[in-house]
Amino acid sequence: MKICFLDPSKLERVRAGINTDPEFKLAAKYISTDVLLGVDDSECIFKVREGVITEIKLDLTPLDAWHFSIRGSAESWGKFLQLPPPPSHNSLFGTMLRKTLRVEGDLEKAFAYFWAVSRMLDVMRQLQNNK
Amino acid sequence: MARVEPLIGKYVHMVVQGTEYRVYFEERGNGIPLVCQHTAGSDGRQWRHLLNDGDVASKYRVIVPDLPYHGKSLPPESIEWWKEDYKLSKSFFIDFHVAFSHALDLKKPVYIGCSMGGHLAVDLALEKPDEFRAVIGVQAALHSPGVTIEWFHHPRISNDFRATAMLGMSSQRSPEKYRRECSWEYSQSAPSVFPGDLCYYFLDHDLRGKAHKIDTSRISVYLLTGEYDPDTSHDVTQELANQIKGAKFTPMTGVGHFGMVENFESFKKYLMPVLDEIARAKPQ
Repeated sequence: MKICFLDPSKLERVRAGINTDPEFKLAAKYISTDVLLGVDDSECIFKVREGVITEIKLDLTPLDAWHFSIRGSAESWGKFLQLPPPPSHNSLFGTMLRKTLRVEGDLEKAFAYFWAVSRMLDVMRQLQNNK
Repeated sequence: MARVEPLIGKYVHMVVQGTEYRVYFEERGNGIPLVCQHTAGSDGRQWRHLLNDGDVASKYRVIVPDLPYHGKSLPPESIEWWKEDYKLSKSFFIDFHVAFSHALDLKKPVYIGCSMGGHLAVDLALEKPDEFRAVIGVQAALHSPGVTIEWFHHPRISNDFRATAMLGMSSQRSPEKYRRECSWEYSQSAPSVFPGDLCYYFLDHDLRGKAHKIDTSRISVYLLTGEYDPDTSHDVTQELANQIKGAKFTPMTGVGHFGMVENFESFKKYLMPVLDEIARAKPQ
């Protein structure tokens, strides 16, 4: 299974799908941050400016900066993105507790923006399953 | 005529560990007293579906208190609580429930609690076996390994964090409207209350090496745990059940950490056989 946020052909659909989600728009209001998502050794950065995802950047270089990251194995992400997800993989907070996804970096920002980031991932689950 | 729910709300004044508290509770029914404890950082609204259920009220007097500092139970008037860090201790939690039961003159009530309330079920069974006829622990464990709780009360992190975190403890198989209701309730307590309650949940509750001392010939112990709880899995509660001779554990499928609020219809299927069995038994 190809993860939608690492597939160049799906990035615009992912970006538009999240940006037009009513709950994400509420949750992300005022937020500007850069979030790295990592699946095994593959990475991308979601750039959010004033509540809008302006870019999903693949092909990162050593000079790319980000505020916090969410990383996990392809297996963990695969379970997280199932619809519905199996027990222990059903939310970002749950996967943090079970250590199947790891949030690292500026945790204060990550938790301050937790609603928006969690919603972003929940919308991603819908998009992964073509909903 | 508009629908009026059959439950009523009252305040009782009671003393716990030398301090008077004005405690809000809701109740319905006239049968065996069933005292329901909410989770950490929330309040008695979590039990509204149970309070409104006619099948339960036909056998039980359902009583739902808001713990002091929660919901409509304000902090006490006699102390300068704003100068102290709010922390829930095991001794206060136990003493509160014994005092509440005595204040309402309840005769050997049944106790049910979820999460920190589930932990308290087994603490009550160990320490106050003659006060209650049975305890029902929902999402109970021997011990819950802690996380850094300071993030839940931080000047630059809003209540959205814990509301979202707790939404993630529920099951995506539960109705969205009730998962969101649970999350909404979590967004409403004073900022210090959730981490203060977690002091009991993560630190003070620890039955490792002690749970085997619970005597189910004096108090019946029932355990119910939802499978979608990332903190207390079926395996975690099974480990507790294995330590208590005579405890009865029912794994619940489909629901998460907050069965009574996120999916009462499903929760009720697991709860009713327990309530029926308790109602048939003679008080010990």
